[in-house]
Amino acid sequence: MTARVLRRLLTLVVLLGATLGLAGLTAAPSFAANEASLYVVQGLPGRSVDVKVDGKSVAKGVKTAAVVGPFKVAPGARKVTFSDGGTTLLSRSLSVKARSSWDVVLHLPAGGSTDPTVTVFRNDTSSVPRGKAELVVAHTATVPAADIRVNGKVLFSNIANGQSLDLTVPVATYKVAITPTGKKSPVYLGPVSLTVKGGAVNRVYALGDPENKTMNVAVHVLATGSSGSERPEKVDTGTGGEAVGAVRFLAKLTR
Amino acid sequence: MTQALRRPASAALAAAAATAFLGLAACGAPDSGAAARPASASASVPGGAPADDGPALPAAVGSTAPSNRVTFVPERVVLPGGDSAPVQPAVTRDGELQVPEDVQHVGWWDGSAHAGDPFGNTVVAGHVDSKTEGLGFFVRLLSLKKGETVTLRGAGGHHLAYTVTSVRTIKKDALATGSAAFDQTGDPHLVLVTCGGDYHRGAGGYDSNVVVTARPKGLAR
Repeated sequence: MTARVLRRLLTLVVLLGATLGLAGLTAAPSFAANEASLYVVQGLPGRSVDVKVDGKSVAKGVKTAAVVGPFKVAPGARKVTFSDGGTTLLSRSLSVKARSSWDVVLHLPAGGSTDPTVTVFRNDTSSVPRGKAELVVAHTATVPAADIRVNGKVLFSNIANGQSLDLTVPVATYKVAITPTGKKSPVYLGPVSLTVKGGAVNRVYALGDPENKTMNVAVHVLATGSSGSERPEKVDTGTGGEAVGAVRFLAKLTR
Repeated sequence: MTQALRRPASAALAAAAATAFLGLAACGAPDSGAAARPASASASVPGGAPADDGPALPAAVGSTAPSNRVTFVPERVVLPGGDSAPVQPAVTRDGELQVPEDVQHVGWWDGSAHAGDPFGNTVVAGHVDSKTEGLGFFVRLLSLKKGETVTLRGAGGHHLAYTVTSVRTIKKDALATGSAAFDQTGDPHLVLVTCGGDYHRGAGGYDSNVVVTARPKGLAR
């Protein structure tokens, strides 16, 4: 591993930290009416992007890997337009249902084209088991199908651009790396340290292009609330005494 | 800061219809209307509007990769020999896991891992017996042996088989603190719990828990 690569990894770790700081914990969606929530994930390397929804400006100068929103919109067909310095990059429409939550991701397609594309992901904001986090990893980078290694183990395999995978994980800090499907190298990204937030959906977008050394991640944390009861202190599962004979038999077997 | 963005339903419908049409006609090709637009066209000419005022292609909708893990809430437990019992969600109240009153049913601690999760134990507990109903379904745990297969089944035909790795008797007061039965951070296991040890009539019943630990055979289906 060259010093340059090491420096790059260090930068990524710093970037990830900064990203987490930037993205922070977005407010739990409070659907006053039937509004849907749109979040914009800026996955284009080296650009600062202005965003319009249905022709109205909602955000300006959104930097690479930043997440902005929620923008509350009425259900139906909505149009999101991205521009950079007054030049329209592209517009895309999406159809949203009442009270739904969406990440609208501006990113590079797979295969080396520099024409930006938009992929929308519906956010599952149902509650997460107590003490755990929902971790969603989405592939929005230029690389071919990839594996996501978590603490060295392939927990998400063979994921292509525009696809995502999800897992319920304990609240902890994980080392996340992206490698080609079935291979340990070249490492497209990381390993980066990711501390997942409990009672929340932690959406991690891999973005950029390793050829241009612009691989990065955007992190969107949506609070969801927790489900499930606390850890038991005690399990009482016998009051009759009828099983005493069987219990003694087991004691003999396992002695 | 949130911002409300609304427009009349009729306009939204028109846009949706136009979008659907464009989606069929364009299929990723450059906007032919814009390309064919004469340089002298004024803003009032149809098709002469700036690019972000017209309908847009539909965005790609992200999909779940086919390799996504199957996870499920257990609804049935199948023991060696094919005997099975319904599994109901069970909550912890005042520190005690509330297993189903019906001794032929067992309870899945609702704060424990789903079958197929990558981390944490899936905890299923049931009565060994009760004063009113006699022997419980989980009296069968007392005769489970290392290497035998226990299967969890869930909605939609999902299932995961486990290999029993240990059958242990643990004092009740040591279950939570002195064993990993409820661990939610380590490698995934199935942990089956019932009562055992010495029986003291009028002194809280059995003094121990019988804990069966099993390792998943691969991924849930």
